[in-house]
Amino acid sequence: MDNIKLRQICFYFACMMPAAKLLIYPATLAYDTKNDLLLAAGLNFAAQVLVLGAVLWLSARTDRTFFALLEGAFGRLCARIVYCLCAAFFLFSALFPMLEQRVFVTQVLYENVPSVLVYTPFFAVSFFACLQGLRTLGRAADVAMPLFAVSFVALILLAAPHADFGALLPVGRTGAGIFRGALFGVHRFADCLYPLFFLGHFRREKKTAGKVLAAFAAGALAVLVFLAVFYGIFEDIAVLRQNSIAHISKYTTSFTSLGRIDFLFIFALTVVQIFCLCVPVQLCVHCLRTALPRVHPLFFAAAANGALLTAVLLLNDTFLEVQQLFTQKLWAVFLVFAYLLPLAALPLCAAKKNKKREDGDG
Amino acid sequence: MFAAKLHKLGDVKETSKQRFGSELQANLHAVKEVLAAEDVLVHEFFAGDGTRCAAVYADGITDKAALGELVILPLTRRHAPADARQVCACLCFPETRLAPDAETAAGEVLAGNPALFVDGVDGAVICGTKLVAARAVTEPQTSVTVKGPREGFVEDIKTNMGLIRKRIKTPSLRFEVLEAGRQSHTAVCIAYIEGIADKTVIQSVRGRIAAIDIDNVPDSSYISKFLMPRPHSLFKQVGTTEKPDILCAKIAEGRVAVLSDGSPIALTLPYMLEEDFQSSQDYFVSPYRATVSRLLRLFAVLLSVFLPAFYVAAQLFKLRLLPFALLLTISGGIQGIPLSPGLEMFFLLIVLEILIEASVRMPKYVALALSVIGALVLGDTAVKAGLVSSPAIIIVALSGISAYTVPDLAGTVSVVRIVYILVAGSLGPYGILLLTALLLYYLIGSDGYGVPLLAPFAPLIRRDLRDALYKANIRDLDKRPAVLGSRNQTRLRTRKNKENAHG
Amino acid sequence: MVKLRTRIFVIAAALLFLLFFSNDFGLIDIQKTAIVAAIGIDAGSEEGKLNVTAQIAVPDASGAGKAGNVTAENTRTVSEAMAQINRKTGWYPTLVHCRLVMLGEATAERDVFEFLNYFLRSEFVEDSCLIAVCKGTAQELFSSQSPIGELTAIAVSKVLSSEAEKTGLVCVTNLRDFAKGYFSPAASGYLPLVALRKEAESGGQGGTAQGTAAREQGAPAVLAADILPAAASDPAAQSGGDNAADVFDASQTMLFYRGKRAAVLDAGETLAFNLTETSTDFAYGEVTIEQDGAPVTYSLKIRIRKKKVSLDFQDGKPVLTFRVRANAQIADDSRADGIVDIAKTAFVPEPVLRAAEEALRVRLDAVLETTRESGCDLFGVRQKLHRRHPRYEREYAETVLRDCAIAYDIAFDTLQ
Repeated sequence: MDNIKLRQICFYFACMMPAAKLLIYPATLAYDTKNDLLLAAGLNFAAQVLVLGAVLWLSARTDRTFFALLEGAFGRLCARIVYCLCAAFFLFSALFPMLEQRVFVTQVLYENVPSVLVYTPFFAVSFFACLQGLRTLGRAADVAMPLFAVSFVALILLAAPHADFGALLPVGRTGAGIFRGALFGVHRFADCLYPLFFLGHFRREKKTAGKVLAAFAAGALAVLVFLAVFYGIFEDIAVLRQNSIAHISKYTTSFTSLGRIDFLFIFALTVVQIFCLCVPVQLCVHCLRTALPRVHPLFFAAAANGALLTAVLLLNDTFLEVQQLFTQKLWAVFLVFAYLLPLAALPLCAAKKNKKREDGDG
Repeated sequence: MFAAKLHKLGDVKETSKQRFGSELQANLHAVKEVLAAEDVLVHEFFAGDGTRCAAVYADGITDKAALGELVILPLTRRHAPADARQVCACLCFPETRLAPDAETAAGEVLAGNPALFVDGVDGAVICGTKLVAARAVTEPQTSVTVKGPREGFVEDIKTNMGLIRKRIKTPSLRFEVLEAGRQSHTAVCIAYIEGIADKTVIQSVRGRIAAIDIDNVPDSSYISKFLMPRPHSLFKQVGTTEKPDILCAKIAEGRVAVLSDGSPIALTLPYMLEEDFQSSQDYFVSPYRATVSRLLRLFAVLLSVFLPAFYVAAQLFKLRLLPFALLLTISGGIQGIPLSPGLEMFFLLIVLEILIEASVRMPKYVALALSVIGALVLGDTAVKAGLVSSPAIIIVALSGISAYTVPDLAGTVSVVRIVYILVAGSLGPYGILLLTALLLYYLIGSDGYGVPLLAPFAPLIRRDLRDALYKANIRDLDKRPAVLGSRNQTRLRTRKNKENAHG
Repeated sequence: MVKLRTRIFVIAAALLFLLFFSNDFGLIDIQKTAIVAAIGIDAGSEEGKLNVTAQIAVPDASGAGKAGNVTAENTRTVSEAMAQINRKTGWYPTLVHCRLVMLGEATAERDVFEFLNYFLRSEFVEDSCLIAVCKGTAQELFSSQSPIGELTAIAVSKVLSSEAEKTGLVCVTNLRDFAKGYFSPAASGYLPLVALRKEAESGGQGGTAQGTAAREQGAPAVLAADILPAAASDPAAQSGGDNAADVFDASQTMLFYRGKRAAVLDAGETLAFNLTETSTDFAYGEVTIEQDGAPVTYSLKIRIRKKKVSLDFQDGKPVLTFRVRANAQIADDSRADGIVDIAKTAFVPEPVLRAAEEALRVRLDAVLETTRESGCDLFGVRQKLHRRHPRYEREYAETVLRDCAIAYDIAFDTLQ
């Protein structure tokens, strides 16, 4: 139930990770970095590669779960506390992408502003997903792979002829804006933390690190290609085009007799995004289940989704404030959990070895 | 009246096992005590040496001619045998067995096999002269093929076992006959190839059938409910087929088959959703044609589910989904329709379901009249009267027809379609996408007998895709489906396989 | 657990049915919606106000669309106009299928983004919709009768189609491109100028609407866009009888600087601009040369093989280079040819090719002169400076359009 395959982790990074970055991220990035948006995103991806490399290094040295490593080094209580904190972080990190998708849904999938209630059934799906464990997370990645691959390629093929890639020139002139864009975008790059919680739940194969990093590179490349096409199409008005995925391909299809057939692909990507949004909530429940095994997981799933539903309803009219909070104020929280925590976990492996040696000596 | 008779026929008294002795009258008395039914008759006769003998049989299900010629006649022409083995040896009938007690003998008699008693001989000899009132082996109506074998299973389990044996002539083919139904004592047969089928699946199936404690098993569909890992699921979890060629192919792949006496539908386990998208004809035409057919079926099922839903969602929530010219056509078509788009579609789908339901059950001679009523009155006249719009009728018709490209899924599709309409009409396009995500989560989380329902797509098993989404050439299908966990994976012995085996 | 699941299922099903049958999310479904095919914006009679005309596609039972024009007068914003149209008709106007935004001529005297912003803000209006400016008012244009009886918006959309742009007859712009130009440092853009021509003016002459327009503008025959697909342009051939049908001519182009009208390119200049800058790859043009002491007009079929407008710096000075490579073929000429000459129709005489090159140069000179005078950076020179030569940007940011030297590298070729 709680096992995931290496292939599925690869699919997550190649196909699900990019899907969550195709809504408002390109427009906000263009706001901060203008034509240098690729550099800012590239910086974020480079940082993620470092963290991911560290986790993979850790996975090569232990078959134990992160919880077991923590338990071995600091005791069960400490492991439980860390897992509960991580659960809180996952829950917290899931909030903004949900608000983002709510905006996307109400603006793109409906023509007259619908009630927020239209979005609420998402939590029923998320609740169901949370009850299924890591196995379903992995299989969702299997399903997402063809959906994403076909839809993404189709949208890019429809959009690319309308892009003027010269708009990305001159490179690097935005200066500090690039770093600001990268820093303010950190909250969208928390995925590198996930493999830490997959430790001990997947079987290593030949060239595990290479495969995961290659998949991550493919996902990152997909995001960068999308950003390039997006900016190439909209140039100076890119900041106006939130919900970018719904906009880039319409210039090919708008005057054909078939109408907006690109919506088929946009819908498929929305399904992938739904899977993707469920991942942090699933991991939150996974952490809580691991930390507090005596409590029924149904309770955790209900509590996590109930909390998120309440937050979404309460923050319904304050999207911009929440966006500013996440981008400009809370990046430090994401740095600590998504980047420093996996790096801090590296010595756990050594601690375990030392302990073994001590035990042996004793 | 008929029901009462059936009840009497099956009225085997729950007694402790009473062993037969050598005295004829005592034995007959013991049997009659267990079998009080009026249609259980006793024919008493004398052997050549004047020894009293008797045959107990159930009227109507015993082949009396065979009983007379092959069982009674040989005995009347010779001295009475000294023991039951000699009785068996002197009969002109190969299918005999011994029944040591009255309960066993009663069960056999009720199954149509008469019990023979000879005064002075311990026990009863059961003769397999059951009267098989089976229909001929014909092509099943539910899976008609243009190319390929046309044989179909019948209601008699022995005939069905014979049809399987005819195709798989290996000693590894095992038939395990069990019994289900407290009252019906229905014979249930598990068929598999030893060494290929997964042992855990066999054990699990055996255990589940043995655990069935129901009074009556009239059809294999009863058994299937007990074999389902998720009995409340909307989706099928047990494969079904009426064709021996398909069943044999599945057995050869490593699945376990379950046959039930009185049912022409065989069950196969483990089951994957992709099986329903396969057709036996796929294996008799070129792989390209088969691949196109499979993709068409998949497309048709998706069309059947999503088209009405998106049609409703587009009209209510997102007009941009419709091209401008089509929007004008629809907009013109729905002028003056009293129902909202969602209700109109819901109403039409219900009408479609009623028509399907009626056409399945009605006598054939009413079919023409119903077609006229369905097509003209409900379709044409409803449009002319302004009750429903033409585009909606076209969508429902297309959706209804598309669902039957995969007949085994048609029932599920029709239920899912209605749910989609309800969701589309109340929550719009996002509702449709959420429901899709929910169904996908449900399907990918459903495993039966260790095999994921959505395999080989989720989890992705690349090798098995060769006979799932597309149909590879038979020469490339050298391995059995990996997902079934067969110990013997080799299906086609290629030179490479052989070299590997020897190397 | 099973009981709980059953209860949840029943409650969910009941809720779903309730939602479905009540169907109340404040929805405006297809039966209450007016499908707006085009929006026309004119200057209102009161200072600073707008008259907004919505061309609504009214379907009949057969699904064919008829135009219904509704005008909201003297509103301050387009949004207010939409609300007024809603009040007037009782139908909610949806702009998701709005294919055309037509600006009246008078609106071009003010910053057009005062009202175009509405379309950029809204998620429900696609910025892929065509945008054009018309002579007179958009209201008049929308009330005209298309020769083939379709919606005026659709008829105009066909005149402004990408196919028409590919043949160089019109400069097609959509809202996105126009907005990109406006919000770029150059603050420049262009829109096709649509003129309404009554059938009586052009129908009986055998000419075409755009040809007539070109001549009316006094354009010389050299490289004037003079040929249109007959099916779309010859109203006499299509609409007989007494119905007074109208045709639309979009051969001229209006240039904008900082959102206001800056200049107008005539048909020949429009073609020259298209041949060098836009996606035009195929065009017809006429060249007149002296042959045997008499003027002979050649109609050439031109296929562009390669084109590039580049900004380079030579000795620290900006040079704008036009590079065009094209193949030409004779479509027709004005003299009675012999059978051999007709057979050699693919071969264009050398003097004709050189004359065509010269004609393009002359036209481009005129276009550049117009852009310099108006300040409209039609060829995106400032953008090229920013992208390719950032180190010169500070020095030339404001003056590059005026200071850059012009170089031509134009070569027309024929079959050998």
